[in-house]
Amino acid sequence: MKRLWALVAVLFGFGLLAAACGGGDDTTATDDTEPASTATEEAADDADDSGDSAEADEEPAEDSGDNGEATGDFAGTIRIGAALSETGKFSVEGKDSRQGYDAWATWVNDVYGGINVNGERYAAEIVYYDDESDADTAANLIQRLIDEDEVDFLLGPYSSGITTGASAIAEANNVIMVEGNGTSDTMFERGFQNLFLVATVASDYTKSGIESLAAKGATTAFVAYEDTSFPTAVANGAIKHLEDNGIEVLGVETYPKDIQDVSAIMTKARDLQPDIFVGGGHYNDAVLFVNSAKELGFDPDGMLITVGPSNPKLVEELGDDVDGVLGPTQWEATMAYEGEWFGSAADYAAYYESLFGEPPVYQAASATASALALHLAIEEAGAVDTDTVRDALRGLNVDTFYGPIGFDEAGVNRSKPMGTIQVQGGEINVVSPDAAAVSGLEYPISGG
Amino acid sequence: MSTFSQALINGIALGGMYLILVLGFSIIWGVMGVINLAHGEFVMVGAYLAWVANEWLGSDPFLVVLPVFFILAAFGFVLQRILVNRVIDRPHLVSLLVMFGVSIILQNAMKLIFSADFRRNDTVLDGAWSLSERVSIPVTKFMVLLVALAVLVALHQFLQRTRTGKSIRAAAQNREAARIVGIDINKVYAITFALCLGMTGVAGALISPILSVQPFQGPPLTLKAFAITAMSGLGSVKGALGGAMVLGIIEAMLALYVDKIGTNLAVVASFVILVAALVLRPQGLFGGLRPVDATAS
Repeated sequence: MKRLWALVAVLFGFGLLAAACGGGDDTTATDDTEPASTATEEAADDADDSGDSAEADEEPAEDSGDNGEATGDFAGTIRIGAALSETGKFSVEGKDSRQGYDAWATWVNDVYGGINVNGERYAAEIVYYDDESDADTAANLIQRLIDEDEVDFLLGPYSSGITTGASAIAEANNVIMVEGNGTSDTMFERGFQNLFLVATVASDYTKSGIESLAAKGATTAFVAYEDTSFPTAVANGAIKHLEDNGIEVLGVETYPKDIQDVSAIMTKARDLQPDIFVGGGHYNDAVLFVNSAKELGFDPDGMLITVGPSNPKLVEELGDDVDGVLGPTQWEATMAYEGEWFGSAADYAAYYESLFGEPPVYQAASATASALALHLAIEEAGAVDTDTVRDALRGLNVDTFYGPIGFDEAGVNRSKPMGTIQVQGGEINVVSPDAAAVSGLEYPISGG
Repeated sequence: MSTFSQALINGIALGGMYLILVLGFSIIWGVMGVINLAHGEFVMVGAYLAWVANEWLGSDPFLVVLPVFFILAAFGFVLQRILVNRVIDRPHLVSLLVMFGVSIILQNAMKLIFSADFRRNDTVLDGAWSLSERVSIPVTKFMVLLVALAVLVALHQFLQRTRTGKSIRAAAQNREAARIVGIDINKVYAITFALCLGMTGVAGALISPILSVQPFQGPPLTLKAFAITAMSGLGSVKGALGGAMVLGIIEAMLALYVDKIGTNLAVVASFVILVAALVLRPQGLFGGLRPVDATAS
């Protein structure tokens, strides 16, 4: 019996160890009493004494201990909370989002010299938790960030489904959440005052791509999407844009989360022989669509897939099979955007790569841009209280590496158009809108 | 007619994938009474082994099924000896929790080793065989079906004809009686667990070109294996075949013939059938080595 208990204890310890290391380099399990990690721990080398930030509702927290070593003294710390998917279905996008936030935190503390609040420089600290790709967990963690970690502001999680619940908690507690990776339109139809989105809303994801395909002569389409919040918003927008551009929708199919087989959907699509296939889901669905189309001999003239094609990893994994596939992108390093902070899109990409050893995907850039928008609003407000910063966010109108940022009354950045990429010979090239395009749209795709 | 033919082909192909996926889970539950909640994670480990072989050695996943089988079997043997064997006589909830713990450990361990990035395995056995303009056979899934059937036949022969196989069946039917006639139950269980984990690893290798490989792909696979096993009968080789094929074909037909929500309905179907089977035929549609009711073990 003793041996059994000893074994259980060893296993429990191993489990804790595995969970503690689960974030790759710096994540702890959700149930730990301490946050998963904080960006300043990694980025600004203990720039603050976080224990003193409890009273930070109106003024940034004052430091009582040693101040930033890398960039000189900070007057205090601004604590920002984020629940991100380190594990579960969105772990890839969650990691990219986190790296995006970390890129900003590192930059603002090490390069920029801290957030300038009325002439005083404050370190930025991001407190992270792992939401395990689960909306309920994220909502609980947001409450925890507000109540226990007493963060001043929040940055968004990944995915619309998770952001929907998380932002409701933020709104109920009157805490501002700026985000770039939850783009479902319905979130911004709730009349929330504290939710701001730097990215293009989901319903416009496919707009420029569909316009380009229509201009090339596409007349029929088939749409398939995962029936969760974000893909539904994208697909509904796509159907509207298809109709607006005179493209007949031959069929619409939905499928559940965690789908393992899309053969039937692709069989239907193949039999209807549409010019273009529009698939809306998440990263894994892109793999299934491409594989299944190949298995069933389905060769549409154009294939537009919501998430995946703009991610270099998908191109790396699927190789030639993904050639010609189109995908929307919030941002690419090749786009001609430039700003006072981070420089151009290419400059940002180079900085990001120097930190993480890989080029940024758009989810990462969106995350950085969210944090940057919050940062600029705090500087504009000269305070950290919710009302003043909210007003500053609403008045924000800046050009950045990510594109123009300017929020409407609903909190949506309507200034930035959505881009469309196409995988061309293993390269991810922006093909639309024309202003950002580096290559022409190939249509019909070879074999189509 | 071509639509029906394609739906049937899709269904049989899907059934083949389910078959290889469910065999190991079914036998462990049927023989040992352990609901292996880490089943999907063992599939995932098998998939990663195949992916590593593909990345490092350029081996096709279909060529590495034997090495993957033996690696997972060895792992299963050790795991059974040091862990599962210690909780097997305890209430079912204990083994359930232990395997749940193992699943969390495996997910995070694999994430540490391989990161959370999605991987996809390449095989030369891909593409489609066109039977007509509107009917084609997906090559990869067809090959998976062939391997699954080969494993099924081998397993059936092993259980029916070998002394160890008969011992396994005896242990499933009545553990105490098997002990009385001199069967080393611990050894039988260790062999069963090893065998099943080996088959589960093979399932992982085979589906690695079909589904993305990532550390958190396991739970939906476990759920599917659970539904098929409970529906068709615990530990029954024929039941696994019948359940996998019935479900694969029903799912494919629903998905193809019901507009807009067909694929959603197909996923619900397995659980509707499961609930119906548990109420109307708790021994499983095809009869199993033991009833689902835990108190009857």
